[in-house]
Amino acid sequence: MSLTPMALRSVLRTPTGLRPLLLQAPRALYHSYEHAQPPPYREAESAILSSAFTYVPTHGFTQEALTLGAKDAGYLDISTNLFPKGAFELVKYHLTTQRLGLKDRIQFPDGQMGVGRKVRSLVLERLRANADTGVINRWQEALALMSLAENIPASLRELSALSDEIWFLSGDISVDTSWYTKRASLSAIYAATEVYQTTDKSTDFKDTEQFLDRRLEELRVMGGAVGNTLEWVGFQGGALVNLLRSKGVRI
Amino acid sequence: MAFLLPRTTALPSLPLKARLTPLAFQLQTRTRNANSNAHRTLISSAASPATEPEPESLHTPQPTRRQPLSAAQKLYLDKALRVNQAGELAATLIYTAQTPPLTKAHPHLRPLMQHMYDQEAGHFKTFNALLAKHRIRPTAMYPLWQAAATVLGWTTGAMGREAAMACTEAVETEIGEHYNGQVRELLAWMADMERKGEEVGEELRLLVGEMRRIRDEELEHLDHAVQNDAKAANPYELLTGVIRTGCRGAIWVSEKV
Amino acid sequence: MTSLAPRAAKRLRLSNTPRSVCTDCRRTFASSVRAQQQQQPASSQHARQDEKTTHFGFDTVAENLKASRVAAVFSSVASNYDTMNDLMSLGIHRLWKDHFVRSLNPGIRPTTSAQPQGQRILDIAGGTGDIAFRMLDHATNINRDTQTSVIVSDINPEMLGEGRKRFSTSPYQAAGRVSFMEANAEQLDQVESNSIDLYTVAFGIRNFTHKQKALEEAFRVLKPGGVFACLEFAPNLNNPVMNAVYKRWSFGAIPLIGQIVAADRDSYQYLVESIEKFPSQQEFAGMIRDAGFLLPGQRPEDEVVKAGWEDLTMGIAAIHKGVKPA
Repeated sequence: MSLTPMALRSVLRTPTGLRPLLLQAPRALYHSYEHAQPPPYREAESAILSSAFTYVPTHGFTQEALTLGAKDAGYLDISTNLFPKGAFELVKYHLTTQRLGLKDRIQFPDGQMGVGRKVRSLVLERLRANADTGVINRWQEALALMSLAENIPASLRELSALSDEIWFLSGDISVDTSWYTKRASLSAIYAATEVYQTTDKSTDFKDTEQFLDRRLEELRVMGGAVGNTLEWVGFQGGALVNLLRSKGVRI
Repeated sequence: MAFLLPRTTALPSLPLKARLTPLAFQLQTRTRNANSNAHRTLISSAASPATEPEPESLHTPQPTRRQPLSAAQKLYLDKALRVNQAGELAATLIYTAQTPPLTKAHPHLRPLMQHMYDQEAGHFKTFNALLAKHRIRPTAMYPLWQAAATVLGWTTGAMGREAAMACTEAVETEIGEHYNGQVRELLAWMADMERKGEEVGEELRLLVGEMRRIRDEELEHLDHAVQNDAKAANPYELLTGVIRTGCRGAIWVSEKV
Repeated sequence: MTSLAPRAAKRLRLSNTPRSVCTDCRRTFASSVRAQQQQQPASSQHARQDEKTTHFGFDTVAENLKASRVAAVFSSVASNYDTMNDLMSLGIHRLWKDHFVRSLNPGIRPTTSAQPQGQRILDIAGGTGDIAFRMLDHATNINRDTQTSVIVSDINPEMLGEGRKRFSTSPYQAAGRVSFMEANAEQLDQVESNSIDLYTVAFGIRNFTHKQKALEEAFRVLKPGGVFACLEFAPNLNNPVMNAVYKRWSFGAIPLIGQIVAADRDSYQYLVESIEKFPSQQEFAGMIRDAGFLLPGQRPEDEVVKAGWEDLTMGIAAIHKGVKPA
């Protein structure tokens, strides 16, 4: 068993088993306006999942709901083998369809609202979708499923995709480091607010709205503090350089 | 030890010890370069813009595509535009950092530097708009490239006019080659689509048009740099070698991360 | 290659094994597949120029001869098949088979309203019945389904005989939930189209002469919505270093174990070589898709096959699944 250069290179290359996983990783690709995005699910999958979803308020996010949905859609009990991750696929179905449906649920007619206000509206609308589809009473189960170790990568991907969607729909066009910080902070805020929403019993989720407002305010204050500090450091640096130049140092 | 030096050029008749010095190396490589590529602009194979294919669909407005781009094509565009934005970011920061020490020592260079900076800023704006429009993520190394480009511009500016121009030459050579490769790839796509009878689509056509314009302007900067004694910089090969290697590394990283 | 004396008596019971006669003592010993080939006239072994050939392990044989050579291999290993599996895979095959059955989840959970009819499972190349047994246990004990039945099918009557023996004392035999069928998977004439819920094949498909034909037959007999599931060895592991170790074990140790324990090196050499010749997970998933099945986990925009299988133990074996569209 000699380790030739070829063997070494193949050791360093991604193992065949992991390649399918990694190939799924880059989801953010060039978005073309000349074409509709391909549908997230194939016909058979979408038929079974959509009918299974109608059973979620009564049966929860379980294999049972999937089986009932498969039977309703004209498939067999055994057809649920189409979903290797079982009940989590039902959760992912909800996440994906709500994310893609967000732009249809809410539109911003003209440039009245600022980006921040739009982000707030979009987050609230997405949370309202949880309630409208009747899923909010079962959402804690879904959160538990999402936090299982084998499901965490897919859940995080969905969360970051939602965050990206919200920023895009609110008209954000910055493409520097803040692209990352904005999406990361919104993902955290959204996740926290959604967990809070599952315990919220107030009318119309008013408490959730206030929770969200507090988080956004924290973010604004924190962002402002960091920005101001960096600006101060920049000014000090610039002043030092100009001082040295005025003394004749050639920099 | 004379047999170790490649006999492509006429060696200056130096004593043995002097032949091993950096100066001898510089003299040798400069004469070699002067003999081999008279007006070397780009090195990539068949790379000259003059020899590029010109598909007809490049100049006629296109109907909407019926066939979506393949996953591989989208991935290519994703990476290409990300790298281009990073490149323009670096270019604008290099000029911003080079200009104060340079124009202080050589005030006559101010209009040239201003012109080049304006063009780079325009390119940067174009790519920013493209990234935002097509929902492509910028490179995660953004702050690192900001710092590296500022430091590079500042040090070469402080080293003097020739060094600054050599830095510009090196960066523009790499960027020019890179853009050339991309333009070739996209033109090949267009030729392929024409051959298959598919519509090219306005998006792709306008993108290729923009990229060619930007590529031409980068090559113009390269020519300006060479005209302003870029090759007279003292540690020329070292400086350009290091900068070009750094650029290539940065391009490779920005594609992935 | 003649066998060791103590095993000869057991060998004589199996009627189809080839024989060679010791010239000194006139005792008859069972001989291996290769020796049998050498005894027969050489001309019948060479494929005619216009015949198609396929692989039999690392050998090349005429297509119409492969089935009979495979039959010979399995006839000679049938009686201690499970022991050999334990020795070859160090017992892990039991875990694989348990996981295979559990992930398929056969059986229909009874609800208060509907009266379930039970699923019809077809287990191909499942002669000795271990998958069938596990399926029935899972359906009965976990899903409380007493109606699901399994048809155990195999091309080799000796392997089916072992299966019948295993089921003879089980309650499933008495309840009529298991039946045995001798058939070639490439031509399941006895099974109606669109009549099977679940078609399984465990460690069998690499022995088929025409795998694509078997996949198409599977597609035909399954009901719309039915599932094709295949548990099979993969030719290469994911990790190249572990792959090298695994190959040394396969080609070095396994035929040796076959020689020592069962006095049949060649059959086990064939088994190991046939694993090597099997298509990779991606290729096989492509074949399943070409037969018309939907691969679980494949996204609509993917042009190449990227999903549809699950690797077991670093890729030594893999579970492939396909669902027939409704």
